[in-house]
Amino acid sequence: MIIGNFRIELEPRLSSPKWLYLAVPAGSLVFAFIVGGIFLALTGHSPIGTYGSLISHGYTSSKGITNTLGLATPLICTGLAAAFAFRMNLFNIGEEGQMYLGMIGSAWAGIALAGHLPHVLAVPTVLIIGAATGAFWVLLPAILRAKLGTSEIVSTLLLNYVALNLVNYFIYGSRGFFRDPTTSFPQGRGVEETARFHSFGTSNTYPTVIIAVLLAVALYWFMKRSNFGYETSVFADSPNTARYAGMNATKLTLSVLLFSGALAGLAGAMYVVGPAGKVDPGLLQIGLGYAGIVVAALARYNFVAVVLTAILFAGLRVGGASLQISSNPVPIAIAVVLQGSVLLFALGGEIFRRNRLRIRRVQQVSVAS
Amino acid sequence: MGSHRLGGATLFALSARQVTKRFPGVLANDRVDFDLLPGEVHTLLGENGAGKSTLASVLCGLYKPDEGAVLRNGTQVRLTSPRHGLQNGIAMVHQHFRLVDRFTIAENVVLGHRNLPFRLRANDLEDQVAQVAERFGLPLDPRVTVGELSAGQRQRVEIVKALYQGAEILLLDEPTALLAPPEVEKLFETVRAMTQAGKSVVFVSHKLGEVVDISDRVTVMRDGRVTGSVARGEADTRKLAELMVGRDIDLSPRRSRVAAQETLLQLDKVGLTKDGIERIANISLSVRAGEIVGIAGVSGNGQRELAEIVAGLQAPTSGEILINGARVNGIGTRKVREAGLAYVPEDRLGTGLAPSLSIVDNLVLTRDRGFLVDRKSALVEAEAFIKQLEIKTPHAHTATRKLSGGNSQKVLLAREIFAAGDNSRVLVVCSPTRGLDVGAVEAVHKLLDEARSSGKAVLLISEDLDEVLTLADKVLVLYRGSVVHEVAGHEVDVEAVGLAMAGLS
Ligand SMILES: Nc1ncnc2c1ncn2[C@@H]1O[C@H](COP(=O)(O)OP(=O)(O)O)[C@@H](O)[C@H]1O
Ligand SMILES: [Mg+2]
Repeated sequence: MIIGNFRIELEPRLSSPKWLYLAVPAGSLVFAFIVGGIFLALTGHSPIGTYGSLISHGYTSSKGITNTLGLATPLICTGLAAAFAFRMNLFNIGEEGQMYLGMIGSAWAGIALAGHLPHVLAVPTVLIIGAATGAFWVLLPAILRAKLGTSEIVSTLLLNYVALNLVNYFIYGSRGFFRDPTTSFPQGRGVEETARFHSFGTSNTYPTVIIAVLLAVALYWFMKRSNFGYETSVFADSPNTARYAGMNATKLTLSVLLFSGALAGLAGAMYVVGPAGKVDPGLLQIGLGYAGIVVAALARYNFVAVVLTAILFAGLRVGGASLQISSNPVPIAIAVVLQGSVLLFALGGEIFRRNRLRIRRVQQVSVAS
Repeated sequence: MGSHRLGGATLFALSARQVTKRFPGVLANDRVDFDLLPGEVHTLLGENGAGKSTLASVLCGLYKPDEGAVLRNGTQVRLTSPRHGLQNGIAMVHQHFRLVDRFTIAENVVLGHRNLPFRLRANDLEDQVAQVAERFGLPLDPRVTVGELSAGQRQRVEIVKALYQGAEILLLDEPTALLAPPEVEKLFETVRAMTQAGKSVVFVSHKLGEVVDISDRVTVMRDGRVTGSVARGEADTRKLAELMVGRDIDLSPRRSRVAAQETLLQLDKVGLTKDGIERIANISLSVRAGEIVGIAGVSGNGQRELAEIVAGLQAPTSGEILINGARVNGIGTRKVREAGLAYVPEDRLGTGLAPSLSIVDNLVLTRDRGFLVDRKSALVEAEAFIKQLEIKTPHAHTATRKLSGGNSQKVLLAREIFAAGDNSRVLVVCSPTRGLDVGAVEAVHKLLDEARSSGKAVLLISEDLDEVLTLADKVLVLYRGSVVHEVAGHEVDVEAVGLAMAGLS
């Protein structure tokens, strides 16, 4: 682009300095808030006041932060699930459905098995079975992908709808095992008390948050140091090189997708041992599976960054929701607008991480001879 | 340059004056002067990255120089686009062809031509195109679609296109890179026909061997600068190599200095039939410890399949492969490796190495890794290799794709020759210097020679005949999947080998 005597160009960077990896997301956050602020001002709300109360309701008040951590807990898991698969260029976008299945599987365990087990065994059993059913839900797409090369994007996405209908059927469509038999109001049957964690105090945060964070750290370490992590990184980088080195592509694809499904299933199970205590279709409307993909992308598939991003996102949700009940109610849509703009600006910011903005004076060509 | 200016600047068909062109972090052309006489073949020689393509692109109007000027017949022209270059009679045939696969040759040739009649008559166009082609010794059938053509034929289409559009000056960027020796000879005939018709040619190349024959003058570039300009007759390869690299280069033949010992790799009547086509036909050969057996041939005659069969990436459909006397047919890459094979594939960055992973991680690739990867010892190893082989890299954690071709090849060779140690004594190497600079070629050849001296059995599969002739103790020629010619390295008759490569023996 030429303006007057100056030429404005984007010039690719040879290497991006480390600080940019932090500055770009921080910058996109600021820009997202500016865009949201314009939106707020246009709809007759004070941006500063609204943001102040958003931040207090989402992060800084003790009620806000515990609500946020509670919501972040399953989101961390779906974020890890997406990051885990996407790192190997396996685009599992079925976290949503795998999470529902995790909820169903763990609720079954919590109802059928937990009564026979002491608390210390019941909770892990319920969590593990939830993870296993999540993995089960990605089994078919994983096999199709590993054996036939069928796109996992389509198959995992389609199964999300199947899972959604399955949950609705169990609760609204039938009077089966998962439906509470004691009331005519359609709701899930509660799991045994031994299968549930107590929340911290009177808050909405459960010990599962610790499990989720530890899981993220463990995954970070494991994928960095282990042979499995090494092989997936070779495979992601260059499948031909992996083949040349004698790695088993089928096995890697299967294990990565199944593990990703298990992480998403765990998100559902954490609901069951935590706040829900049953299969709860009401929770499904907030789309934590899809949100996990966004969180993973923003975290650039880094497991530790997933934790922080998930907390950021959960806070926007929690804070956004509580604005609805203030004196001058702000629609929940504002939180959605903010999330969307954070994502847009973070992706757009990539341009500035990869390129440098140059402004040069246009030079006159001269003949030397 | 002044001494060649016989009476004023107008004599030059095309000149660059103090041309400077910058790319991010690189000075691609640094005050370059270049002059082309009418009817001359002027070669621009230099290693990869020397700035040849950049200069050619400036001369044809694709790039605008940051500083300096382009002169056509002595007057400055400010070329704004390749089309503008063409209006001044300048055309460039790029390293990567710019043709539409689904169009016929004739359609491709006239594509983008401004002065076409409103109603195109295919027959007329085809006749015109055929005429131009014939005049310059470029046999082509204008009705064939470009998608069906070989690289050599596509190049002819590009040249015909330039000539059809009225080019007086042709810039050929690395035109021989994709050609077999007989095709190179044909290209040279075309170039001569063009100069006889009064046209001038700028011939860009990084291959020393070929330029001496064809050029009236060779200008050598290094790191964006002109390092020298030599007239026909004064040019000898050694001097040119020194101008290119900046130091003395030894590319003389290297042969085994020890008597070859036991046979380590043996192929016995190996064949491969795929999709009903016989790719490899009944190949028998053996490689002994302490020797290099070279497989020459034009690309696409079964080299890739042969290498993949030996490396265990494909199973042969007939015959036996023995490593250290043990049968390894179809047991998979990992087991073949355990049996003693090291393999340097042709595609070093996409198969031999994981491009985004570090040097350290790439050394780990063929190790037995266990549950946790031991990067500490790999780091020590990487640093030793970097020092020993003079691998130019910021550090051992740099991604291999950021290295130059020569340096990434050194990493790969280090892993396959040294890291594997005595466990793998059979080394299969495919086109190890393709696209590399003269300096890097010398280094790679030295490494292969060292591997041989240390008692490895080396099978060198290369499309670069000079490379095979420089290194091999025994030369086999592969043509359509069969070995059609076999000769000891020191008894090679180059012409016979060339004919065999073209399938004419
Ligand atoms: N379009 C481009 N953008 C950025 N760098 C470039 C571009 N083209 C060439 N370069 C750089 O300029 C230098 C000269 O390149 P080039 O002219 O292609 O060399 P050669 O043709 O002699 O191999 C190299 O370092 C190359 O990486
Ligand atoms: Mg070039």
